[in-house]
Amino acid sequence: MKRIVMVFALAAVVMGMASAAFALKVGLVTDTGGLNDRSFNQMAYQGLQQAEKQLGVDISVVQSKAQGDYVPNLTRFAQQKYDLVIAVGFLMHDAVEQVSKEFPDTKFLLIDSEVTDRANVTNALFSEQQAGYLVGALAGMIEADSSVNLPGLKHNDTIGVVGGMQIPPVDRYIAGYYQGAKAQDPAINIILGYTGNFDDPASGKSLAQAQHSKGADIIFQVAGGTGLGVIQAAKDGGYYAIGVDVDQAYLAPAHVLTSAEKRVDVAVFDTIKNVKNGDFKAGTQIFDLQNDGVGVGAILDGVPASMKAKIEQIMADIKSGKIQVSDKIPQ
Amino acid sequence: MNVLLNPELWSSALTLAIPIAFAALGGVFSERAGVVNIALEGKMLIGAFAAVAFASLFHSAWIGLIAAILAGALTAMLFAWATVYLRADHIIAGLAIDILAAGLTGFLFNSIYGQMGTPSDTPSLPIWHVPLLRDIPVLGPVLGHHEALVYLFFLVLGVSNWVLFRTPIGLRWRAVGEYPRAADAAGVPVLRVKFWAVVAAGAVAGLGGADLSIGILNSFSPGMTTGRGFIALAAVIFGAWRPWGSFLAALLFGFATSLSFQLQGTAAISKNILLMLPYIVTILALTGFVGRTTAPAADGQPYDPER
Repeated sequence: MKRIVMVFALAAVVMGMASAAFALKVGLVTDTGGLNDRSFNQMAYQGLQQAEKQLGVDISVVQSKAQGDYVPNLTRFAQQKYDLVIAVGFLMHDAVEQVSKEFPDTKFLLIDSEVTDRANVTNALFSEQQAGYLVGALAGMIEADSSVNLPGLKHNDTIGVVGGMQIPPVDRYIAGYYQGAKAQDPAINIILGYTGNFDDPASGKSLAQAQHSKGADIIFQVAGGTGLGVIQAAKDGGYYAIGVDVDQAYLAPAHVLTSAEKRVDVAVFDTIKNVKNGDFKAGTQIFDLQNDGVGVGAILDGVPASMKAKIEQIMADIKSGKIQVSDKIPQ
Repeated sequence: MNVLLNPELWSSALTLAIPIAFAALGGVFSERAGVVNIALEGKMLIGAFAAVAFASLFHSAWIGLIAAILAGALTAMLFAWATVYLRADHIIAGLAIDILAAGLTGFLFNSIYGQMGTPSDTPSLPIWHVPLLRDIPVLGPVLGHHEALVYLFFLVLGVSNWVLFRTPIGLRWRAVGEYPRAADAAGVPVLRVKFWAVVAAGAVAGLGGADLSIGILNSFSPGMTTGRGFIALAAVIFGAWRPWGSFLAALLFGFATSLSFQLQGTAAISKNILLMLPYIVTILALTGFVGRTTAPAADGQPYDPER
């Protein structure tokens, strides 16, 4: 009897040790926006933390301060034999291409760009244009309906959008915004501007104020850290901003109309789960409305329930394919 | 040219100019005593962070302002000690301060505030609606409604100009930057003047950072100065090392930035060209004028009393 108990105890200890040795090691490298951009990088980190809690993986994060940091940061994780290395951002494309070739036994997840022809790289692309379409549709609906009485809304039939750097994910959001707004209000005027950076909220505020002075009462920010200034402008000036990547209503509760969400945390979590289950697939996965990869944040209280219902309907139409959203900004 | 009639264009030009103008004033202080100050960017950043940290801690933007002044001054003391007493190369020491500031503020920001960033209830400086100014017919909307630090800037500018050019202190200050050997012979404590000039520069640069973080906004983001400290140096040169000159140069830059924001989306000019506008203006100003304005003669040279 004693012997059997000992054998079982030994087996339990060995299995415990083995599973600890087999705990997945996942590393995350952010782009220069840093963990505190309150949107993009932060969401990736949340997905990572969720994986740590629910899947029991070991996680580690490195923040990049400059573009030259990408290759060294990725390389370091690969050298330390991490199972999965996550590169967050379009700007990391070349770095992933290089490092994934040098370390074919390490798996990589690249978010927002594609490195094809590598068996050890999986890519997560998002259909930002679908989220952009939904928030644009809301903006268009509100501008077109003069019975909507939100304070500070002057129904000038003008809306704005402030972009950070002009990179494909940013332009995809904007493309959707244009199409969504014009579908609801064909006569709407959209003012587009970029600040050229993702870390300058003072300029973001200034550009938003410039657009407001030309009539825009609703401004969509697609500018990461710079965009925080857009939300500040809306709060100070008494008009409305639309957040990006995460639900940003908490930044200015009465002045954020809604947010275009990009579920980077879902992409990160799902990929880690796949690696854990031995299901890693190289290639590109598209995250869109259908698989909950993009979405819309909470809509401001003063907006009529009928409009909120209409947004739900449009969402269903995009999912079913009835509405097709192009990823190119209409000229 | 309808855009020129939009009061937001001019108001925004002033708003955008003030942080640079503060830093440029610091550059003037420092260089008039002969110390080249590449560290303005770092001092602005530290000032910006200190302002938010203390403003949110004590729920008072004014305490944040004082914290920014002290933080800028303290950082400047480090820089001043290195350049004035240890006679380090001004450029290298300045860059070191910039890197230190970026790392320190980034580290503190992550440790103290983490993912959610600085608290959204951080108080910012009040907006003053100045009674006489706002009633001026055309310029009223442009000049009459700005946050407190914009008006305080002009107070600081006026005092600086008066001290630098109309007091004995100012005379010694400038003498140290022109010909320290003669100033020393006349009994001026050269090293002490240089030291305190740099500290004053740090204090004012800290104010510039505070203007960004608790004046225009009410939050701190890592790297939020985005090179304004360096543009300030160009403003110092373009402004012939004079307080009013450097302010006007900063205003020119602010105007070019504001114009580029106004024209985007409505004018037919490519947005890339528009975004380059402020920097092109700066380069044109410098190449047009750098030959004509002269720096203080002993600018950039550490002073050794023994030699």
